[in-house]
Amino acid sequence: MKRTLLIHLRSGSMMNMDSNLVVKLAKAALDKGHNVRIFGYGEGITPIKEGQEPKRFPNVGKELTELAERGATIVVCETCCAARGIHRGEEVKGSKIGSLTNDLSKFVSEADRIVTIAR
Amino acid sequence: MASILFVMLKSPHENVNLELASDLGGQSKKAAILFEDAVYYAMDKKASKHLAEHVDEVFVISDDLAARGFDCDVGGKFKTVDYGQAVDLIMQYDRTVTL
Repeated sequence: MKRTLLIHLRSGSMMNMDSNLVVKLAKAALDKGHNVRIFGYGEGITPIKEGQEPKRFPNVGKELTELAERGATIVVCETCCAARGIHRGEEVKGSKIGSLTNDLSKFVSEADRIVTIAR
Repeated sequence: MASILFVMLKSPHENVNLELASDLGGQSKKAAILFEDAVYYAMDKKASKHLAEHVDEVFVISDDLAARGFDCDVGGKFKTVDYGQAVDLIMQYDRTVTL
């Protein structure tokens, strides 16, 4: 049965492997035919900044674009982005700088299950 | 019967309040799923005993065990799963709480 999974990320892409975990969980859910939504805030916005080039570990931004191409919806909090000097137009393809008020509240109300990846 | 799946990411040697699982879970069916360094719970006798006191089942991500050099030999209440099975568990339990 197709359901909607919301994954809520609050860890930065270079802090630990949380954002890699989110990518693996999202891929597995897409493979099972579920709808996947990812919302990042706090440090969880950092994976969407375009132009990042990690040398010795996965490029989460690129992986998020691939997830979006498979139908995942990826949104991060604009306030948290602005606090870190990241502005609309600087996000990787397939992701969106949105808001808790408009996007996260909608995602929460529509999700069948929510998983928070945070420390 | 209500059910809760506790998502765990941190190692047993970090600050993790396992009592919360009993406090929040009450009479619900309670399970834990171990990602990243939380898989060390499965390999540390004292930590695994402590965790097993608070939940009915423990699922351990096999990829994360292997990434840390452990083979997948866990026993008792502990069971290895892959990411696809993790998604199924998330959908099967009523809700998740991250500890």
